[in-house]
Formats: sequence, C-alpha cells, structure tokens
Amino acid sequence: MARKQTKISRRMLFTWFILTGFIFLFAPQNFTSKFQLAFVHVFRWPLSIGGNLALTARTQQPLTGTVGRSEIQNRNYITTLEETLDEERKKFKKLYGLYNTYVWEGTDFALADVITAKVEGSRNELTIACRKTNGLTEGQFVLGDNSIIGTISDVSSRTASVKLFTDPTSRIAVKIGELDIKKWMQGNGNNTAKIPLVSIQHEIKKGDKVIARKNAEFLDGPVIIGRVARLKRDDKDPLFWDITVEPACDIEQLEDVAIIIMNSQK
Amino acid sequence: MRWLRFALLILAVTVLQKGLLARWSSKPDLLVILLVFFAIYYNTSEAIISSFTIGFAADLVGSPMPMGPQMISFGLFGTLLAYLHRVIAIKKMPYQALAIFVTSVLTGVLTHLLAYITGEPVAANIFAVVFVTSLYSSIVGPFLFLPTAWWMRIKMSRFSRR
Repeated sequence: MARKQTKISRRMLFTWFILTGFIFLFAPQNFTSKFQLAFVHVFRWPLSIGGNLALTARTQQPLTGTVGRSEIQNRNYITTLEETLDEERKKFKKLYGLYNTYVWEGTDFALADVITAKVEGSRNELTIACRKTNGLTEGQFVLGDNSIIGTISDVSSRTASVKLFTDPTSRIAVKIGELDIKKWMQGNGNNTAKIPLVSIQHEIKKGDKVIARKNAEFLDGPVIIGRVARLKRDDKDPLFWDITVEPACDIEQLEDVAIIIMNSQK
Repeated sequence: MRWLRFALLILAVTVLQKGLLARWSSKPDLLVILLVFFAIYYNTSEAIISSFTIGFAADLVGSPMPMGPQMISFGLFGTLLAYLHRVIAIKKMPYQALAIFVTSVLTGVLTHLLAYITGEPVAANIFAVVFVTSLYSSIVGPFLFLPTAWWMRIKMSRFSRR
C-alpha cells in the first residue's frame, strides 16, 4: 500500500516555526531557562571536557616575575582577611566589650565544578555542577580563588547558573580601597565592571582593591571582588570618576567555585 | 536530507560551541556556518526546518540570554538565504564567506534586538562582539563546508538552484 504523504506548504512551515519562536521568547524566563540548564546537565561531561581542553590549550607557563595563580589566591585571601579584621576592629570599637563572631561562622560552602564559562562577550555567566544542592537559592554569592565572582542566578537539580559580577545585569554593593562610601558596581560585559557616580574628590588610584560589602541576607562580611583596572574622568560628567574594575581572579581559569550559604543548618 | 546525521551534527556542534569555544574571547559561530551551509545546499523546505532547528540549538546554549531570539533570527535569515539562493547561486568560497558574514551580522543584531524587547540589557560593546564573531565565522566557515558535506553525504558539486 502506498504511504500517504502529508504535504505542508513552506509558508505554513515557516509560520508554525516562527510562532514557536515567539512562544519561547515571551514565555517566562525562569521556565525557559530550565531547558538551557537541562541541556547543560545532560551534556555536562562532554561540555566540561571541552572546557578543560580549552583551558589546557590556553594555559601558559608563568614567566619569571609574573604573578602566579596560587599567589593571586593567597593575595586575595590576605586582602579579605585584612578587610575582615578591619571590619571586626570597627565593630569591636562600636560594640564595646562584645565579642564578635568570625566572619564565616555559621556559614557553609557548597563546592561546585565549572561546566561552562562565558567570560568574554556581552553576557558573562558560569554554569556549574553542584556537589550538593541543599540550601542553594538565587542571590547567593559565589567565591572563585577566594574572591567574589558573582551570584547564583538560577538553580536546578545539581546544576546552577552563576551571574558574574561583570554581566550587564549584575549590581553589587561595594567599597573602593580605604574609602568608606557605599557604591554600586554595575557589570559592563567583556569581563569588566563599572562603578559610576564616584566624585573626583575621592582619592582613588589604579590597583585599588574593590570589596563586596556585607549583605544581611547573603554575605556576612567584606570580601574582595576586584581591583581598579582603569581610572579616568567621566567624559559625560567630569565631576565623577569613570572607574573600570577587573575581577580579582582569572575567572576563565577557574575549574571549581564555592557558593556561600549563610545561616545554614549544620 | 539525512535527518539522523543532521541531528548528530547539530548536537556535536552545539556541545563544541558551548564547551570548547565558550572560553575563547573571539571565536567563530559554528551554528551560523551550519545555517548558511544548509540554506545553500538543501531545498527550501529542508532549509527552513534546519534553520529553525539550528536556531533552537543556539538558544539552548545561549544562556543567560532568554530562549527564542536566536530561533526567530536564525529561522528568518536562513529562510531568506534559501530563497535568495534560488536566484543567486552562492558557489565560490568568497561568496560563501560573504554570505556567512552578512547572515551572522544580521542574525546577531536581530537576536540582541529581540532580547532587548523582552527586557534584556544590551552591552555597550555588542556591535564589536557581533562584528568580530561574524568576521571569524566568515574566515573559517567555507573551509568547514567540505567536512560537513562529507558527513551529510552530499556531493560538493551539488550547487544547483532550487
């Protein structure tokens, strides 16, 4: 018996596909992002192999006099400790006689492997495979090489997305160097971020550390996030600085990260 | 069209794009190269289906961008290219490179425009990113047509207008 073949016109085919595209486009993003995370979860093994190959190909032997990765890790750790100590001293002065808790007390960490990294370009994101997913929620800070690299933006079973602080949708409260002023750092894409509206009256120099301020919900103490990479007067408003911040670690080289889980039930 | 081979090829390229190439700052868009390949080597109906499928694959690995923009832009420009190929045959490598460059720029711009409509922010350097990606794709693309044609079991002399 001859098989009956259904003929669909090209116009109909095109209309149905474009309609499907618009349904995806206007569907809630927290729903459609599950498809993206599911894809990464299913193909995490070949994806991470590809990522590791890229890392191996890009890794160069450090030249004499250049700063190695372990040195960057230690430097970030020391900066965070110094800031914590400084913060603790201030607290101690304020709350006379009260013994303050160490910054990470009551804090748990969830370790995760980096599956894919999108560091350059217009959007900056990591997809990570979590070894434990208990207590993971959107907004939690993520550490890479002892410095803040971003926040959790989406969580599914054993896979999560990290919105890097350099992503244009990211906004994190920070302080610059020794200045005790609260400013918002906005992602700029292409592995950099900007701190707008800082008056030129403030003394800032290239290389100054940028510290993520503590956050009542997700961060119990100051942690280093980046360093001032470029500094010039704002072209639009010369009364303000145009500050470009680069991450305190090489995010592209990260193989694993730690998610800060505050007030966890141990 | 050998659809199983097509599915395996798209899957492999999608994983390659998201895994291996994601860590490079300047890289070709392999999915756009495939879009142009299927638009000029296959008949119009197959080109429409493959364009939207490749767009869907690009959306799957396009996080943190929402899903949909790439499916629409790839589908639209893949279909237009397939219709254009019925009038102007894209035979020589320089023309193929030009087709890849123009398609990549147009899909990139429309993708970000559609994403912007849904409330996604547009980075300041977006046009530079689109331009550089298109340039890389147009340089690499024509050389990838031969292995793709071998995998899809089509003869390279198959350039007839449809």
